[in-house]
Amino acid sequence: MIQSSVVGRQSSDSVAGRWALAVGRILLVLAVGFGSTASFAQHKTLVLKGGKLLTISHGEIENGVLVISAGKIAAIGAANAVKVPKDAQVIDVTGMTVYPGLIDSESYLGLTEISAEGSTNDLIETSDEIMPHMHVYDAFHAESELIPVARLNGITNAIVAPQSQDTLPGQDSFIQLDGKSANDMLLVRDIAMPLNFTGEQRRNESWEKRKFPQTRMGLAAQLRQAFMDAQDYSQRWADYERKKSDTTAKGDDRKGPPTPPKHDLKLEALLPYLQGKKAIVLAAQEPSDLETAVGLARQFNLKFVLNHISHSQSVLDYVASLKVPVIVGPIYEDPKNYERYDAVYKLPGELYKRGVKIAFASYDAHAVRNLPYAAGFATAFGLPHDEALKAITLNPAEIWGVADQLGSLDVGKTANVVVADGDPLDVKTDVRRVFINGQELPMRSRQTELRDRYSR
Amino acid sequence: MSRVTTLIFFVVGLASLQALAQQPAPSSHNEVLIRNAVVMTVTHGDIQNGSVYIKDGKIAAVGKDVSAPASATVIDAGGKYLTPGIIDSHSHIALDDDVNEATSPVTPQMMMMDAFDYQDKAIYRGLAGGVTTSLLLHGSANMIGGQAIVIKHKYGASRDAMLFPGAPRSIKFASGENPKRVYGSRDQLPSTRMGNFAVQRAALVEAQDYMREWDDYDAKVKRGDKDAKPPRHDLKLEALADVLRGKLLVQIHCYRADELLNEMAMAKEFGYKVRAFHHALEAYKVADQLAAQGVAIATFSDWWGYKQEAWDAIPWNAAISMRKGVRVAIKSDSEDFARRLNQEAAKTMRYGGATEEEALKMITINPAWIIGVDDRVGSIEVGKDADLVVWDGYPLSTFGVPNKVLIDGDVYFDRSLPGFGMPHYREGE
Repeated sequence: MIQSSVVGRQSSDSVAGRWALAVGRILLVLAVGFGSTASFAQHKTLVLKGGKLLTISHGEIENGVLVISAGKIAAIGAANAVKVPKDAQVIDVTGMTVYPGLIDSESYLGLTEISAEGSTNDLIETSDEIMPHMHVYDAFHAESELIPVARLNGITNAIVAPQSQDTLPGQDSFIQLDGKSANDMLLVRDIAMPLNFTGEQRRNESWEKRKFPQTRMGLAAQLRQAFMDAQDYSQRWADYERKKSDTTAKGDDRKGPPTPPKHDLKLEALLPYLQGKKAIVLAAQEPSDLETAVGLARQFNLKFVLNHISHSQSVLDYVASLKVPVIVGPIYEDPKNYERYDAVYKLPGELYKRGVKIAFASYDAHAVRNLPYAAGFATAFGLPHDEALKAITLNPAEIWGVADQLGSLDVGKTANVVVADGDPLDVKTDVRRVFINGQELPMRSRQTELRDRYSR
Repeated sequence: MSRVTTLIFFVVGLASLQALAQQPAPSSHNEVLIRNAVVMTVTHGDIQNGSVYIKDGKIAAVGKDVSAPASATVIDAGGKYLTPGIIDSHSHIALDDDVNEATSPVTPQMMMMDAFDYQDKAIYRGLAGGVTTSLLLHGSANMIGGQAIVIKHKYGASRDAMLFPGAPRSIKFASGENPKRVYGSRDQLPSTRMGNFAVQRAALVEAQDYMREWDDYDAKVKRGDKDAKPPRHDLKLEALADVLRGKLLVQIHCYRADELLNEMAMAKEFGYKVRAFHHALEAYKVADQLAAQGVAIATFSDWWGYKQEAWDAIPWNAAISMRKGVRVAIKSDSEDFARRLNQEAAKTMRYGGATEEEALKMITINPAWIIGVDDRVGSIEVGKDADLVVWDGYPLSTFGVPNKVLIDGDVYFDRSLPGFGMPHYREGE
């Protein structure tokens, strides 16, 4: 309901407002808060009682009580400090761990079903590098069998991104992993835009098949040209608006109204980023690419977060000096041959030590469920356990601008809550219950159905 | 008729001798005592505050009270866990891009040894993840692929020193989507599952004829027929004949339940045994039949959906199959997973409730059986090779990572060392 107004809304200050989407802070909050199919009348007050609450924002509460009402967290605290409402449905979770739904900061959920079957894939448009007008929400497949599989392990929200073979492959959406339709699940459309500069975007598959841009010079030149074209485009529209208002103000219509410039979807898609209204997700792996990409972002005053930087160990102080968050990993990325075996494993811990805010991502669709294990593995290489948990909950919520609704167990936040029989970061831990918007969801997927059919 | 076979055995035997000769000097590693460890033996339970005494690269004593000479090098495990080295029963590392000779669907004469790139850093990265033995297989482009090698992850040692001495020969078969895609895309046979099995059957029939020709020839010679002409030696058919003679362990890449059954029927028809099905993501559907035939599986813990025949993969596959009596290994088939097979095995404790010991078996003694080296490695028992891992943290969890890895009693990886953490290896030397 609210989403449609977000999507349809014209940007008031953009010259190309007819097409640009304004995701203002308030709208965004509303979208997250109300982004469920569930009618609130169905919500009973629920109480999770006796569990260990990992609040993320204010420590752990042993023998805690969590009250969920109207899809939100209504109260939280120790058993002796929180009153259980009279008519509430009480679920005893003694011995269990209770934590906020996990957030994956880059996934391809809803864009693929079976990797090798082309007809099931809508992952990337590779016909051109500069594709900012590709919106993953146009392809997002709400009925994907992959979504319940991920949800069953406690992942309740995710960034959906196009794959990374283009420098500008399109715009990300932020989803909730429950809903009857794409509209229900797409909480924030066009939340951010990847800018990939890892070398993999070069069109140099072979000398025979080479085409522009075949080199990093080509990639960078093409990007600069695209952003400059968007600046010019913006200026043309500003000139047009000025002329139009001049004509009106003077009451001089002898010349007739000025002719508007032609609309260009590609260039319009870049404007919110040029205007600093939304963040670019800047992907690089090695220091040289990182510095080129950051230089490019600075040239156009782009607001950005970093992505990957898996082989930039030698410039982590520089990374910290940028004062931007880093989506780190995949930490399973193979080290370069000159790197020690744990060079990439150690990265989250090293960034944390330097005060950098980090978040983990699965960078996958089928393996989204394994997101917490990447965070857990990093604890064996210097990342404190609490910080690892934060990097899949509150940190991503902050990075993606949804921390007032998601990412921790706090009163007033959306009740995306997970109940498990142990440490969320351990592979042995079994997730027992998942709540999204305060609704308990069935622990069923295509995989559990196959299990049940054949283990009889 | 077995001249070629003899030749192959001779070459392998020679390699083994060289392997022994070129191992790093035992020096102080001749006798090692690892003490103050939680010894997870795999085959006879855990020993709290246990010790392992290693002599000449072999486990010489295991227990709570183990006596060792004062001259032995002592490794104090500080209460950490000690397990056997991890064994990866499905790997394609250290083969550069030479995994598939995808120019014919039947290539049993391909020897992975000929492509073995022993300086591949993936061997080191697996070692740092606790892997001490890997089976390097041909790829799955062909119905009948090449012959595998078994390596120990002694990174920095010479090529031949990395070979597992005396390991049995394995051959890779494949079925399903890969062969039909590789050849079908060129408008060649096979492009369907009917084609796949027809190709496999034809190759085996040809091998039977080849064996008969040689038998006829040998019989003639025996009768004193001086005009008898020997048939041509054919490397390809000789390898297939060895399959039919039971001299090769048959390792079959196979996903779907129907194909698992078809492959077992084919083996029965031609009289060979299937050692293990690899991937086997639908094993849980026909686990009873696999168990009845004594066929093992080497599977993923939870990888799925990457192609149509992986669509019915469920993370309970390993545990369900195990409960129905199938010997189960968790394997990597990937440079990445090879670095954390302990985590992958631990997932079976969550998905299906494998016990700690059952999970550990899936990456030690069970893959050792699949490779045919379970009498040598895969558990902490007296007489076995001293391939051991000292762990930081609990190995069957997200958090356990190797602190030290020993192969044949020598420390090949030590996390506390700077650089690459390899006592025997310096970059550039």
